Amino acid sequence: MAEAEKTSDKETAPPASPKPEGVPFEIPVLPLTNITLFPETMVPLAVGRPASIAAVEAALSGEEKLLACVSVRPDQTSNGDARPAELFEVGTLVMIKRMERVEDTMHLIVQGSDRIRVLEWVQREPFLRARAQILPDLEVKNKEEVEAAKRNVQGLIQQALAYLPQVPPEVRMIVLSADDPVRLAYFLGSILSLGVEKEQQMLEANTVDELMHRAHDFLAREVEIIRLRSKIASEAQTEMDKAQRDYVLRQQMKAIQKELGEDETGELAEAAQLRERLAKADLPDDVRKEADRELSRMEKLPAMAPDYHVIRTYLDFILELPWKISSEDRLDLNEAQRVLDEDHYNIKDVKERILEFLAVIKLRPDAKSPILCFVGAPGVGKTSLGRSIARAMGRHFERLSLGGVRDEAELRGHRRTYVGAMPGRIIQSIRRATVNNPVMMLDEIDKLGADYRGDPAAALLEILDPEQNNTFTDHYLDLPFDLSKVFFIATANQLGPIPAPLRDRMEVIALAGYSDREKLQIARRYLVPRQVRENGLTPEQLEITDEAITLIATLYTREAGVRQLERTIGRLGRKVALRIAQGQTEKVVVDAGDIDDFLGAPRFFPEEARKELPAGVATGMAWTEMGGMILFVEASLLPGGSGLTITGQLGEVMQESARAARSYLWSHAEEFGISPDMFKSYGVHMHVPAGAIPKDGPSAGVTITAALASLFTGRRVRPDTAMTGEITLSGLVFPVGGIKEKVLAAHRAGIHRIILPARNEADLEDIPEDVRRELEIVPVTRINEVVDTALEKLVANPPPPLRVTESARDRPEQDSEPLIAKER
Amino acid sequence: MSGKSLERYFRSIQNSREKRPSGRLWCPAADVYRTDEGWIVKVDLAGIQPADIEVMIDGPVLRISGLRRDGICGEGVYHYQLEITYSRFEKMIQFPRSIEHASIDRDYRDGLLILRLKEEQEESHKGRARAAGRK
Repeated sequence: MAEAEKTSDKETAPPASPKPEGVPFEIPVLPLTNITLFPETMVPLAVGRPASIAAVEAALSGEEKLLACVSVRPDQTSNGDARPAELFEVGTLVMIKRMERVEDTMHLIVQGSDRIRVLEWVQREPFLRARAQILPDLEVKNKEEVEAAKRNVQGLIQQALAYLPQVPPEVRMIVLSADDPVRLAYFLGSILSLGVEKEQQMLEANTVDELMHRAHDFLAREVEIIRLRSKIASEAQTEMDKAQRDYVLRQQMKAIQKELGEDETGELAEAAQLRERLAKADLPDDVRKEADRELSRMEKLPAMAPDYHVIRTYLDFILELPWKISSEDRLDLNEAQRVLDEDHYNIKDVKERILEFLAVIKLRPDAKSPILCFVGAPGVGKTSLGRSIARAMGRHFERLSLGGVRDEAELRGHRRTYVGAMPGRIIQSIRRATVNNPVMMLDEIDKLGADYRGDPAAALLEILDPEQNNTFTDHYLDLPFDLSKVFFIATANQLGPIPAPLRDRMEVIALAGYSDREKLQIARRYLVPRQVRENGLTPEQLEITDEAITLIATLYTREAGVRQLERTIGRLGRKVALRIAQGQTEKVVVDAGDIDDFLGAPRFFPEEARKELPAGVATGMAWTEMGGMILFVEASLLPGGSGLTITGQLGEVMQESARAARSYLWSHAEEFGISPDMFKSYGVHMHVPAGAIPKDGPSAGVTITAALASLFTGRRVRPDTAMTGEITLSGLVFPVGGIKEKVLAAHRAGIHRIILPARNEADLEDIPEDVRRELEIVPVTRINEVVDTALEKLVANPPPPLRVTESARDRPEQDSEPLIAKER
Repeated sequence: MSGKSLERYFRSIQNSREKRPSGRLWCPAADVYRTDEGWIVKVDLAGIQPADIEVMIDGPVLRISGLRRDGICGEGVYHYQLEITYSRFEKMIQFPRSIEHASIDRDYRDGLLILRLKEEQEESHKGRARAAGRK
């Protein structure tokens, strides 16, 4: 490939035509910093240093324009002209193809020709000149390996091109069609910017194998970098695309809002509106401060922000609350009395309590409202009493059912940090009432639940304490609200489930059940007129006699209240309405005899007093939520048995009463004329019908004692006598509750004598006079009085024979007569 | 960083002033004519001493190489602009079939090297037939 011309004139400056390798020649040297020139590549260069320009000019003055390019070692950091020691020994012989001068610099295009090795430096000033020799062509050691490396390199180039879609196709062609491996490797070396160190390594490679190996390594690294770069770039692109998309959507939303007339000016108007309303509203100072703060926060938020609406709702709520609005109480006591009487029959003490309170308010307007708690069976009128209290006082009425509420947050609200937070029921009721002094009825306070989320009863403690509730803080509102003017009325069916601290805060007013006589009055005054009205009748069209109402109350309903009674009267009314609408008649008078026709056969047969009781059975009285009832305690001896068997769904307390009764009788057996051996010889079974109804409580103690005493003595319990009272092991009789209901029930059942604990005598005042007149009431303080009063004197059923010895147990049927004789 | 340089290279590779692969030598332009006798090859080779031109045939390949020297340079003369390429050149021309047996008539004038390749009779026949067929 080299030319035939082989002159090597060492005297003349320009070298002759390049020689085959080995023959040294002198040549000007251009030191290159930061780049390496490879053979077989064409490279543009800019030359500015005077020494370099001198070297180039020396090359240009030669016949062939040849120049040696040698790189400066990268670790040599001299700022001036490069010295020979700073240069590598291997460089490239280049041919200057183009040159132009631009001001003081020379722009060159050079073409790399051969690798050269510098042998010695022959000149340093004004430019470097070296004696060099051309290095032999690279030889191929392993052809297959070179081919494989070449293909790998081409594969890598293809990979790189895949990441660079902007490279035009013709360029791809040029790159991929370079099939000479050496040329390809040198080309890669020149374009990859590997750094002088690596480039020099490639330049100094002496075999094609080595060169290809290095080129492959370096290229692989580059491709990896390109891959990473493109990955990072595409991720960044994705991010940008998302932001772009959001922006576009927001712009569209803005446009839509503008179309709908909800543009930004609307937002401003909303805030301004709220500000105006705040200015007008009569708010306490701290509330105003908080509201202003929230409003200015809201103004800073875009309408799209979720917080914007939270604050808006909150401010709306603050504005709607009656911070300082109170309704004026009606302080005409006579008028209030009239309203109460009009709505409710009897219940004198409740009415008195209301009137007392109104009197206090009249004298001292800033008095705290009382907190009442009505306790009574369903249908006795607790809720309607609350309504009529509100009516009598001229206050707003708000009812709030607590039945099943088991989350403190329901009463006191959620904090606003929660999504969908709402104020509690108390504050919501106040807002609905639109005044800060309504009558607020907390219905079914005994049905409050509690679970791990909190105990609503505990929240009620604050609400119902007049000392604390003037600064009641709802979680949502987060501002104290004065509840002290609210007239709280709680209702409950039972006091038991109400936690003691809560019970303690309320003034408990028990609404006892109604007697038949009271029911008659209530029916005549309220229920019948209302049902007549509801069924589209006129008072002239339907008339129900007192006897008929009493019959309905006793045989068709069983309750302490009047709800069932009203419903039954309603049924009657509908039947009558049907007849009148059908034109069968113009007016109906319902008498006791007609009830069957309208309502069918009687539904309930109250436990009637039994005409005759065998020994061992006593009549007791019980209290239920439905009112009072009588029940029978039955006991019988079990020959050969032992201990006490108790059946009839009796609760723990009642079972203990039974054991106490037996033990008392046992320990005082002689006193009652019983042989103590009876207790050892016979087992006792005690049963209390109806067996399916669970019963509990201490008040049956007296009855059980009477039944057992009767059983052991053989003296029957008087059938006209019913009794109640708790007993102690020392023989005392303690008072019990529910006297009114019990006595009324006993009276209904046809009992004439009632045995009561002496300390319950005060309760008798509640019993209507007419009932009391028909009853003989026997107050007792000790068990022996009970036994004396309840049992007949006559031994009607003599107790069975007694077995005295252990051996006697084995022959139970024998020798009974003499033993009884002995006992007597 | 260097990945970027590769990318940049690919983008601007069409710019002739950038680096690009080349042979070691420069390559003059050439026209090739088909004639009844054989081929005429015209090579743009100005300013070259005929002695510096070498022509070789290897199978179907005609190889023209040589050396262009700049005779103007010397004391007191400086290059201001360089656009003519000097030094060694090489031109390879591939023919459709072997020209091993062709005779070469060499003519160098007006800066152009004209080579007339005369093929043997029967071979030229075939070539003509093929050339006619191509038209």
